[in-house]
Amino acid sequence: MNVKLLTITRREYLSRVKTKAFWIGTVALPLLMAAWMVLPTLIMSRARGGLVLVVVDETGTVAPALARELEEGLPRQGRQANLDLEVVAPAADVAAQQEELDRRILADQIDAWLWVSQQGLDENRLEYHGQTVTNLLTLEVLERLVSRVVRQQRLVAAGYDPQQIEQLVTGVSLHKVQVSEAGARADQGLGGLALAIGLFTILYMAIMIYGNMVMHGVLEEKANRVVELVVSTVQPWELMAGKLLGIGAVALTQIGIWLGSAAVLTAPGLMTALAAMPEDVPLPTLSPVLVLHFLAHFLLGFTLYASFYALIGAAFNNPQEAQQLAGFGVIFLVAPWMVFMPVLNDPDGTLAVVSSLIPLFTPLLMMLRIAVKMPPAWQLALGYGLTLALDLFMIWVCARVYRVGILMYGKRPTLREIWRWMRYA
Amino acid sequence: MPTPTLELRALRKAFGKFQAVDGVSLTVPPGTVFGLLGPNGAGKTTTIRMLMDIIGPDSGEVWLFGNRRRRKDLDRVGYLPEERGLYRKMTVSEQLLFLGQLHGRGRRELEPRIEEWLGKVGLGDRARAKVEELSKGMQQKVQLVGTLLHDPELLILDEPFSGLDPINQGLFKDLLAAHKEAGRTVLFSTHVMEQAEKLCDHIALIARGRVVLEGQLAELKRRMSGNSYRLVARGDLAALAELPEVEEVLAGDGAARLLARPGVEASQLLRQLVSRVAVEEFRSAEPDLEEIFVKAVHEAMGEDAARAAAEEIPA
Repeated sequence: MNVKLLTITRREYLSRVKTKAFWIGTVALPLLMAAWMVLPTLIMSRARGGLVLVVVDETGTVAPALARELEEGLPRQGRQANLDLEVVAPAADVAAQQEELDRRILADQIDAWLWVSQQGLDENRLEYHGQTVTNLLTLEVLERLVSRVVRQQRLVAAGYDPQQIEQLVTGVSLHKVQVSEAGARADQGLGGLALAIGLFTILYMAIMIYGNMVMHGVLEEKANRVVELVVSTVQPWELMAGKLLGIGAVALTQIGIWLGSAAVLTAPGLMTALAAMPEDVPLPTLSPVLVLHFLAHFLLGFTLYASFYALIGAAFNNPQEAQQLAGFGVIFLVAPWMVFMPVLNDPDGTLAVVSSLIPLFTPLLMMLRIAVKMPPAWQLALGYGLTLALDLFMIWVCARVYRVGILMYGKRPTLREIWRWMRYA
Repeated sequence: MPTPTLELRALRKAFGKFQAVDGVSLTVPPGTVFGLLGPNGAGKTTTIRMLMDIIGPDSGEVWLFGNRRRRKDLDRVGYLPEERGLYRKMTVSEQLLFLGQLHGRGRRELEPRIEEWLGKVGLGDRARAKVEELSKGMQQKVQLVGTLLHDPELLILDEPFSGLDPINQGLFKDLLAAHKEAGRTVLFSTHVMEQAEKLCDHIALIARGRVVLEGQLAELKRRMSGNSYRLVARGDLAALAELPEVEEVLAGDGAARLLARPGVEASQLLRQLVSRVAVEEFRSAEPDLEEIFVKAVHEAMGEDAARAAAEEIPA
C-alpha cells in the first residue's frame, strides 16, 4: 500500500468534505427535489381551505349533483382542486344578486361564483366570476365536473338508465408497461423518463463540477506555491492520482447521498403520504443494477475529464488563462445534449448506438440509454472497454504534461510548448 | 574521509537548446554548511530540483547518504524550495501533520513534535488557526517548521533568505546553527554572496551551469588572495607605485591596496614599504567572495564570461 498516496488522497478528500459549502450543496439538492414535489400541494391545501365557490342554480338540479360529485369524485383528483361549495338559492332580481356576489368576491368572503341557468345550459355556456381566472388546474377540474353532471342529466332526460350511463361514459386509461431484457417494469412511463433525465443531468453536472474542482485544486497548489514542496516528497503522478482519487471520493460521497435520498423520496408510500399524491401515479425505482452502471459511468467520465482538467490546471497560472482550454473540454461534455432527444426517443437507433460508443460521449449517452432501455451486452462491454482505454491514455498524457507544468510559473505557455512538455523524457 | 552526505556526479540537464546544467559534480561532506553560489539563472535551482528528484537529469547521478539515491532516502532530507507556500485553507497543525506524513512519519510521532516546534517558534497558540489567518511572518515560521519537523539529516534550502523578514532571517540562522551543531548537514543556494560568506564552510560556485570553483571557504580565500595586500600607513601612499616590487596601487585616505609584481615575497615588499611610509597595518588582502567569483569565472571561461558574470551579480 502506498502510504503517501493515501496521505494525499485523504487531504484532498477531507479538505473538501469538511467545508460548509460541500454540505450545503449536498443537502440543498434533495431538499429542493422534495420541496418541488411536496410544496405545491402543501401550499394549495394549507394556505387556504380550497376555493370557496358559490353556486346559484336556477334549475335546482345541477348544484346538488355537483355537490355529490365533489364528495365522491374529487379525492381521486388529488387535492389540487380543492373546492368548497356553497349553494345559494336564486333571488328574484338576478342582476342585484350577481352584483351582491361580486361584492362578496371583492370583500374576500368568497373566491368565485357559478351561475347555472336554463339559458346557459341551452347555450352550453355558464357564467363564472372569480377573483382569478388563471388557476387553470382548478378551473379545468371544475369544468370537467360540471360537464359530467350536465352530460349525465341530459342523458337521463333522454331516457337512459342512470346505472347504464356510468358504464357508457367511462373512458379508458393506458396501462404503460416498459418491455426490457431486465424484465418488464410496469408503469415506468413518465416516471421512468423523469428518472433517465434526472440521472443524465446529475451525471453531467457531477462530471463538470468535479472536473472543474480538480482544475482549481491544481491551480491553487500552483498559486500557493505549495506544489514543489509536495512533489519533493511524492512523485508528480502520485500527487495527481491522489487528487483524482480524493476528489472522486468527494463526488461519490455527494452522489451517494443524493441517490440515497432519491431512493427514500421515491419509496412507495412516502410521497403519496407527504404530497397526497394519488396512489396510481407511478414513481420510478432505482434498481441496484442501474446504480452500479451509474457509478461506473461517473467514474469513467470523471477520470476522463478530471485528468484533462488537471493538465489545464498544471499548464496555466490562473483561472482566467485556464478558462479558454477548459471551455474546449466542456464542448465534449455539452455535445451529448444535442443528441439527447433522439437517443431518448429511439435508444436503439443508429444515432444512439454510434454516438454512445464514442468514448468521449459514452459516460453520458450510454448511461442515458441504460436508464431508458438496457442496451445489448456487447454494446455495454464495448462502451466500457473503449472508455477505459481512453481514460488510461488520457491519464498517461496528462500526467506527463502535469509533471512539467506544475513547476512552470510566469508566462502563459503556448499549445506548442505544452506539446513539447508532453514529449520530455 | 567520511562518506559524503551528498554527491552529485556530472549532472546535466537541457531545456530545449538551453543547457541549464552542464556537468555539475560536487561533494558535500557531513556536518558542513555548504553554499551553492551563483547569479540568477546559473543553474542552482535546476541542480537542486534534480537532486530532489523533482526533475530528471539528462545524464549524471545523485548519491545520498552513501548510496545511489533512492526515493525513500529523500524522506531524510528537509527541502525548502525557492517557490514555496502552504495550503491556505488548512489549519497550522493539519498542515504540519500532512507535511510530516509525506516524509514518512506517523501521526502519533508527529503530534507531540508539532506542539514542541510551534512552541519553539512562538506559535503555540495558533495551532488551530487556518494558514490564511496568519501574518506573512507567521506563515514563514510554519514553513520553516514544516521543513525541520521530520528531523532531517540533510537540509536543502533554495534561496532560503529571499522574502524572509529580518526577524525570521535571524530565527532561521539560529536554526541553521543548531542544525549544524547537531552534526547535520546543510546545503543552501544563494545569489547573495555576503550571506554565504557569513554562513558557509564549503562553497561551490556555479556559473552558466558549470561549477567553476569548489572547496573550503577559508582555504579558497587563502589560495585566491595571491599577491594582493592591504596597507594602513601615513605618508605619500600614491608614490608607492614607483617601487619596483609594486605592480599597482589603489591609494585612499590613509589606506591603500597594493598588488605586488609576480614573484615578490610579502617580507620583501614590507621592507620596502617601511622605508617609504610609516606602516601601521600590513596584511594579505583576502578577497571577498564576489572577487573570487569573478576571478574563478575568468579562469574557467575567459574574460568575456567573467565580465558578464560580474554584471549578473546583483549589487
